[in-house]
Amino acid sequence: MRPLEGIRIADFTVHAAGPFCTHMLSLMGAECIKIETALRPDIFRKPHTVYGRAGAATFDQVASNKLSIRLNLKDAEGRELAKRLVAVSDVAAESFRAGVMARLGLGYDVLAGVKPDIVMVSISSSGQTGPDSHFAGYAPLFGAWGGLGYLTGYPDGPPVEMRHVMDHSVGMNAAAATVAALHQRRRTGRGAHVDVAAREVASSIVGDTMMVAAAGGYVERIGNDDHRRAPHGLFPTDVEDRWLSLSVGSQAQWRGLLTVMDRRDLAAAPQFETEADRHANREALARIVAAWSAHQDADTAVRRLQEAGVPAHISWSTEDIAADAHLRGRGAIVDVTESGGAVRAAIGRPARFSACDEPAFERGTPRLGEHEEYVFGELLGLGRAAIDDLIDRNVIH
Amino acid sequence: MSTDGPLAGIKVVECAQGVAAGYAGRLLATMGAEVAMIEPPEGCALRREPPYLDGDGLQSALFSYLGADKRSVVLDLATPEGRRDLAALLTDADIFLFDTPVDARPALGLDEAALRRGHPHLVVASVLPFGAFGPKAGWQGEEINLIHASGEGYLLPNGLSVDLFPDRPPLKIAGRFAEMQGGVTALFATLAALWSGEGQTVDVSVQDANVAIGAFAIQRLGDGSVEHRHERNFRYGGVIECRDGFVELLTLEERQWQGLVELMDSPEWACGPGMDDPAARSARGPDINARIRAWAREHPVAELVARAQRLGVPMAPYNTPADVLSDPHEEARRLFGEVDIAGVGPVPIQTAPFRFGADPLAVRRAPPALGADQAILERSRPREARKVNA
Repeated sequence: MRPLEGIRIADFTVHAAGPFCTHMLSLMGAECIKIETALRPDIFRKPHTVYGRAGAATFDQVASNKLSIRLNLKDAEGRELAKRLVAVSDVAAESFRAGVMARLGLGYDVLAGVKPDIVMVSISSSGQTGPDSHFAGYAPLFGAWGGLGYLTGYPDGPPVEMRHVMDHSVGMNAAAATVAALHQRRRTGRGAHVDVAAREVASSIVGDTMMVAAAGGYVERIGNDDHRRAPHGLFPTDVEDRWLSLSVGSQAQWRGLLTVMDRRDLAAAPQFETEADRHANREALARIVAAWSAHQDADTAVRRLQEAGVPAHISWSTEDIAADAHLRGRGAIVDVTESGGAVRAAIGRPARFSACDEPAFERGTPRLGEHEEYVFGELLGLGRAAIDDLIDRNVIH
Repeated sequence: MSTDGPLAGIKVVECAQGVAAGYAGRLLATMGAEVAMIEPPEGCALRREPPYLDGDGLQSALFSYLGADKRSVVLDLATPEGRRDLAALLTDADIFLFDTPVDARPALGLDEAALRRGHPHLVVASVLPFGAFGPKAGWQGEEINLIHASGEGYLLPNGLSVDLFPDRPPLKIAGRFAEMQGGVTALFATLAALWSGEGQTVDVSVQDANVAIGAFAIQRLGDGSVEHRHERNFRYGGVIECRDGFVELLTLEERQWQGLVELMDSPEWACGPGMDDPAARSARGPDINARIRAWAREHPVAELVARAQRLGVPMAPYNTPADVLSDPHEEARRLFGEVDIAGVGPVPIQTAPFRFGADPLAVRRAPPALGADQAILERSRPREARKVNA
């Protein structure tokens, strides 16, 4: 049995962060019912010209493994059906701007009225409270607000934009907090309104730097440098744009690197003797390593470095990742068959469980409204005629 | 209002040298679990990791951030007594969170078979750079290796940085981004395993966690598109330099673009023929961005962001850490608690990036001194052992 089997989620989320949260919960075995309407499709279902491409942006990954129903939440009857669905669910998840669910008549107070121990998860840019709580935002804005963007970049360059990994970091935090709230419910019988602010997730990632700044310390962007390790960073190999990532801290790692580089002579060089020496002279050291690495086959170099106990890995492209036997063997990358029959690589479970090692995926992206018979019929007990009537009147739409 | 946190009553034993497992433990602790760090006599490696809070290199900011709300117990696992004490602690625990390398586990009695046999009730969470299973299970990986093993490293930087420095190597995200993702994923997976009620082993890999959060790159590969940092830009917007700093601008919806035109006081170039067509604008992206960049350089960050948000234009300031610490929004949400660091004094510390109601979780304890909580051993030791030690 998958760990969260038996948990049901009424999923009102849109875009990336929210749907990724519920997708993660579904990969752990929760039943996730995605609520959409043809009136206002998820922005990620639509083509995105801002990316300079015509295809739908990114919908399949976060929508897969879910059940799909249509529900018009602008309609009073639609909202009543939403409440009935929440009443038979454990979790209600949403990622609108703060206040939108309340204006729809589906705020936490209302949902707790129909299901007293509901765990409601609200994911927003700046949280449910505070002067900026109404702010609109996307992943790159979260990273900027929270300080992560400012700290990322070349020392002599501007800050750097965080993309989807920022959305999904928020979703992963929200998924973890949801399970924590379920534990609290199990212990106390109480539900909770879980509030996840994306900008707070961004700042949490550089929480140590915040403390340094507060204590009056030096905080700037350091690019690929490390505060103590050297050599540290990306080094060229014999193929253009194929980079070797390398991190050397301890004396043992330093000796390992010198062995692989066949430069044991440098072990006696006073400017590289200790970790502090190497860090102080890291630019000269980087030039020596780059001169060596530029003639190396990346895969061979990484294998030899790892055998010598040196942390190293190629800077992998997405193609490298999708093809990797290690990731596929772990179920981190799986093949998913979409309803049209196409097979695509997708991310699988984010961790392995000894009690249940089944693949986490059950289905690809659902068609809009594909599971209405089960949800409205079986779960909510509506007959065929009643469902058809709701469809005719655009309540289910 | 309850003050005991959502995970009150859950007992965790943590044996971590790295950031990922340490961060999972920190979030468990701040949510109310009792987390006992098992440290070797010289202290866990994170205690010596820069950056530091003091000038003397004694108080690691990273350790202080990850160690808050935890307890510290020193055990020498190289000795039979140390291993016996650990076993006693595990008998009493719900979760064992550890990042001991796979090949070092059998000698410490921490291999999977031994743990399962000795503690069948326990959720054992192994958190390693590349996981505990598979051909790379024994590989070492520091932050820079992990972010590049997971795809996002190769795709950075983007936008303004890659325009300015097209020939430089890829760039990591600041701090311990990949390892922190591993920590949050470990937290999620461990709590899910505990929810199931079955004692079991959870195998978390920092690489898997980051491949998961890079989901869309994998998806786009399935759509037939291989992303590269040189092409992976929004057509316009992104990092924009202002008179006194930088903002992030992203207009995905038509009404947001219209808001941006209004924000720029409807310049002629933005209102010309074809500019109301998103596809045509997309084709002219670099030209449009040059004009946005020229316009923004004349304006201060605070004024632009305030007006943009009023007009429904998604824009945010690139806040420095000091900006975040003093932001009225973060202040209103009481995002930062306070811990007392020896030799430094009270320092604000972020509680958790999520809350379970209107109030934030509280950070209740300063990071412990090494071995500050040896007393925990007394209550978990088997009776005979207590006598021997008495």
